[in-house]
Amino acid sequence: MKFGYLLVIAKNKKIDYLRLAYALALSIKITQKPGYDKVALVTDDTESVKQLRSPWVFDRVIEWNEKQFWDGRSWMDELTPWKNTICLDSDMLFFRDYSHWVEYFLKSETELFVPSTVYTYRGNTVVDDYYRKAFVFNDLPNLYSMYTYFKSDSELSRSFFKLNRHIVSNQDEFKNLYLQKHKPKIIGTDESFALSSKILGIQDEITYQLDFPKIVHLKPMIQRWPWPADTVSDHVGFYFDLMGQLKIGNFQQQNIVHYNEKTFITEEIVSILENIIWKK
Amino acid sequence: MKKGVVIFAHNSREVDYALTSVVSGFLAKKNLEVPVTLISDTSTVEWMDKSNIYDKALRVFENIIEVDRPVYENSRVLHDGINSKTVPFINANRSDVWKLTPYDRTLMIDSDFLIFSKELSEFWDSDVDLMISPAMRDLRGDRIGYHDIWVSDEGIPLYWATTVMFTKNSKTRLFFDLVSFIKKNYSLFSEIYRFRNTIYRNDISFSIAKHIFDGYEFIQNNHLPEVLTAQDKDLIHSFYDSGLRILLSDPISESASSIVNLKGRDIHLMNKESIVRISQDILEKI
Repeated sequence: MKFGYLLVIAKNKKIDYLRLAYALALSIKITQKPGYDKVALVTDDTESVKQLRSPWVFDRVIEWNEKQFWDGRSWMDELTPWKNTICLDSDMLFFRDYSHWVEYFLKSETELFVPSTVYTYRGNTVVDDYYRKAFVFNDLPNLYSMYTYFKSDSELSRSFFKLNRHIVSNQDEFKNLYLQKHKPKIIGTDESFALSSKILGIQDEITYQLDFPKIVHLKPMIQRWPWPADTVSDHVGFYFDLMGQLKIGNFQQQNIVHYNEKTFITEEIVSILENIIWKK
Repeated sequence: MKKGVVIFAHNSREVDYALTSVVSGFLAKKNLEVPVTLISDTSTVEWMDKSNIYDKALRVFENIIEVDRPVYENSRVLHDGINSKTVPFINANRSDVWKLTPYDRTLMIDSDFLIFSKELSEFWDSDVDLMISPAMRDLRGDRIGYHDIWVSDEGIPLYWATTVMFTKNSKTRLFFDLVSFIKKNYSLFSEIYRFRNTIYRNDISFSIAKHIFDGYEFIQNNHLPEVLTAQDKDLIHSFYDSGLRILLSDPISESASSIVNLKGRDIHLMNKESIVRISQDILEKI
């Protein structure tokens, strides 16, 4: 298969990541045109997938239980069944057809792309570095791994992910070597991607100025509000309608939303998305 | 397609908007080379006659359209340098411009917006039906507050209805009907868009209408230029053919700390009294 999305989840006591991934896969199937709507799920619990009302939204289900939590995404290049993949965080939703973004990557034979620009719910570019101290102090490229495009047969991708896995597996060593000016508690995927690209000297090849992907990042302290905030939903309403469209505050969301607040995906939202897909 | 500028002016007891509109109209006509129409009311036009500027107004304006004086009356604190007073202002009928304009393509400007360039001429032939300025740019650069940018803390961007250009068609009629609806239901919209509704602001009504018109999104392009603005604590020092010299106030010391020579740039002057004081220098040119 030429192109598909990849979601990597693991069981978690507090958060039902399968529900989030299911909602995302439903939204992909609703909005993307054929050929650009394939979704593969990597999970350590395939039995739960079978319990879903529409498990067919996952075109491939891959059982894998070697790593927990977000570490699994460092193996995305080895786990993907697609020749060209966009690996997404599971706490995201699609609202319109974004296949033209994918077409650009396919036609330009992009080997690896990781965005370095995200947006507020009001459509402004995020400029606040509140959550990015390790990046600023250690002069790392400002990468967001939530939407990672890669080509499986690319040497560049292979080197990048191989080093990334090494970083994730040897966190203390890399913190001491490269993150001395501001040490994060753990090296997350964003930090490890940034370190990999910096060490390999490929940041300009894998992230550059593009008008897409447009991803709304709903962390509260970067929304350009004039006061501090703990959560976005404390301050603006999330209005999800029966057409599967989302309004946040006074703003209709047209771009991919990375909602962060895991409780946003309720059974009701899943039901709305299921009803839309069943009628499609 | 007939192009022209429209200015609204309704005098209050404190501010001679009739006079500022003649000044603004003269500069718009001279620099944009299009006709200018004034929309006013009987008492304001009578005041023009009493204050001996009516003849000049007839030379500046292609039409003087008299309408009922709007009943909506706001008041706000206006500075004139370090002095200030609470003044009423009557400007709630801007949404009627669609019905009143004699032009196919209209540029509506505030009577305290002085045009010294041809910059806005670039937009006459644009195929964008409706264009508004998306922002105010402070002349000094450091005197912009959060609510000069946003309608509310979490809300939509504030457009500046100081300059609005539109083509008269069914689409823009819908827009101005929407502005009118927002004005009538201002309290309700203040709840939805979370702004203080103690005074009516055209900028807010136009911003909400534009936001709805654009599909509840902020569209990044197709705007008029940002409105270069001198604050009401700034004072006009002098006028010359292609511009103004303006004394800029310092927000901390509140004194005029520097002077800027503004040549060939359109400027929104919030200090109306300052325009009135230099008006004779401009009226002599008419």
